[in-house]
Amino acid sequence: MTQQRRSAGFRLAALAIPTVAALALTGCGGSSSSASDAENQEFSLTFATSNTVESPYEALAKQYMQEFPDVKITLNPQPNDSYDQVVRTQLQAGNASDVLVTSPGSASGRSILPLVEAGFLEPLSESAAALVPEGSEALFGPDGKVYGLAPEITVVGLVNNDTASAAAGVNAFPEDFAGVLEQCGVLAADNKSMFAVAGTAAPNTGLLGMQLAATRVYSKDPDWNDKRAAGDVTFAGTEGWQQALEAVVDLKDAGCFQKGAEGAGFDVVTKALVGGDSLAAFIPGPSNKQLKTTAEDQDFEVRVLPSEGGPDEDFIYASANYAYSINAASKNKDAATTFLEWLAEPEQTKAFAEIDGALPVTGLEDFDFANSAYKNVADLVLNNRYAPLPNSEWSNASVYDELGTGVQGLLTGQQTPAQVLEAMDAAWDQ
Amino acid sequence: MTVTSQSTSREASEPASGQAPIGQKTEDSRPGRRGNGSKKPSRPQWGLEFGHWWWALPGIVLVFAVHYVATGIGGFFAFTNWSGIGSFEIVGFKNFEAIFNDPTKIRSLGNTLFFAFGSVLLGNILGLLLALGLNRVVKTRYALRTLFFMPVVLSPLATAYIWKFIFDFDGPINVLLTSVGLEHLAKPWLADPHWAVWTVLVVLTWSSTGFAMVIFMAGLTSVPNEVEEAAAIDGANLWQRFCHVTLPVLRPAVAIAMTLGIVQGLRVFDPIMALTSGGPAGATETLATEVYKQAFALGNFGGGAALALVLAVIILFFAVLQQRLTRSNPED
Repeated sequence: MTQQRRSAGFRLAALAIPTVAALALTGCGGSSSSASDAENQEFSLTFATSNTVESPYEALAKQYMQEFPDVKITLNPQPNDSYDQVVRTQLQAGNASDVLVTSPGSASGRSILPLVEAGFLEPLSESAAALVPEGSEALFGPDGKVYGLAPEITVVGLVNNDTASAAAGVNAFPEDFAGVLEQCGVLAADNKSMFAVAGTAAPNTGLLGMQLAATRVYSKDPDWNDKRAAGDVTFAGTEGWQQALEAVVDLKDAGCFQKGAEGAGFDVVTKALVGGDSLAAFIPGPSNKQLKTTAEDQDFEVRVLPSEGGPDEDFIYASANYAYSINAASKNKDAATTFLEWLAEPEQTKAFAEIDGALPVTGLEDFDFANSAYKNVADLVLNNRYAPLPNSEWSNASVYDELGTGVQGLLTGQQTPAQVLEAMDAAWDQ
Repeated sequence: MTVTSQSTSREASEPASGQAPIGQKTEDSRPGRRGNGSKKPSRPQWGLEFGHWWWALPGIVLVFAVHYVATGIGGFFAFTNWSGIGSFEIVGFKNFEAIFNDPTKIRSLGNTLFFAFGSVLLGNILGLLLALGLNRVVKTRYALRTLFFMPVVLSPLATAYIWKFIFDFDGPINVLLTSVGLEHLAKPWLADPHWAVWTVLVVLTWSSTGFAMVIFMAGLTSVPNEVEEAAAIDGANLWQRFCHVTLPVLRPAVAIAMTLGIVQGLRVFDPIMALTSGGPAGATETLATEVYKQAFALGNFGGGAALALVLAVIILFFAVLQQRLTRSNPED
């Protein structure tokens, strides 16, 4: 052997020995059965966060690890703003978490149906199917399969600051839409507003538009979305939708929104509600708990936006807006499935709803409405006068974005209701 | 052309006798060739010969793989209906038809050009004034230069949020207006359909002025004092000296500042997302913000890629046009 070949051999050995050692230490050289078992006890969970309030996803995961000390859950919280994009990119790249938080339907980047179509989600067991709210089966997966475990029921109506209402002299919440408009004028004269709206946040202005459509469209025609999907109706051609967006203009003209609403963000809504400058906001029911955390001395109640016909015609949205799903490419499906089975137990669904300030997905008939923030909507929920959020059944995310952007355009006077509805139809058909 | 640049060109074209200009090889010095008086054949140095471009190959491959291949793949998706996940179909020019048939996209294109040219025009005028003012004489010029250049160094996203606070309905501007009895002028500046574009333009101009100032200050160092003094002695006033002495020397600096400013202005994204997210109701939407929304927020990756391709072509067009219009040597 020449000197050159010997030195080359030394160099090779110098590289190979630490490499082999590293591979052996990290387990890449092969796995024993015990290593495999340990691996199966570990999985990761990705969920969205948008504030510093305790996340129910995190709380339940920690509780699971406490009950089962051998299990390790790696938590991957993501900012809500970029959650859809992050999850989609990770799923596409094959490095997404084992368990993901998704949304039923097809309206957003995290929605179950397009993710199932792309082959990214694993079908779940009977325990998940048992938790699917009645009438929402199609939103949880095609062909009768279920790809998401619903952890709670989210009521979407108004969150009202009852303490601020009393201080402003509003002792009785208006019973119909005309009463709302009248009350708006009284409050505006006192430099307050009935509603706080985040005009720059399409999710908030979108909720405003959809809530006005609850009694004008969906309570009268529960199958409207199916008809739109079949091409039998259009937004622009539906009288109820025209009335809903005209009502936005009526609310604006009556002084129902805070000054500068068209340029406000969610921070303004929170500040106005907590400060009592505005009495209510178009936000999901669980926000009552987050607001209560900020202002413990005030009472925040979930209410329905009064209909034109009074209490008998009131109608609200309530549905499972989020779900746990399992990544089809996960290598820890067994551990993830066991976790979801545990989550589906009544104790856990109850705990989840309590932490989040929502309604439990099971046992609603036993829920103590009277001592909760939902006492004013109990009749609607218990008498089945509710429907899932309509945008969860819309064809793509652009439709809801057009509604949210369009409502801002109505607030600034840039657009007319007809133009907004035409844009929504165009987005649906794209 | 100025005296200084002419003499520099002459020196470059007429090297001292017996010396080859730097960088130019004489016949004798070329590897692999014999000199006229040499009888011993020299060994061809093929490794060195090839090394001149082979050595750059890893870098070239990296740039192509990371930049051009990725861009090319993105360009390919412009001709598909890909949502960002799952399978896709090739749809030809359908995405481009949708762009040019959609008035909101045309408005985004108009806004893109408005912000790019508006911020370049205002930024260059203000940058030139600042450069002239801070070039000499002023004792605090170094501190002032730093202050005016600071917006270029600071994070555009962070400063945009500060501007957003300033222009908020409850922000300092409206508070000031209200305090002096002008509350009727208070408005949501960033959500007012008429004022939003101008408000955004103010922020973009503020952030680009420092960059233009630095380029013009570098250009001003080339203005010979003696020529300015000679012009002054000959009776030229301040404006004449600026037009006939300073500005001709600054011509390359103007070209650079405008080219870079337009390219930067066309692709501006983060300040607009932070200030208005393209609102109110699309009034400040640009192609860059539309690309993001379509490709990533609304699950229309094919449409977003098509918009990105349109934006890239526009940037390329203006970059080439600007270079051709402003080059100092027609033979370049």
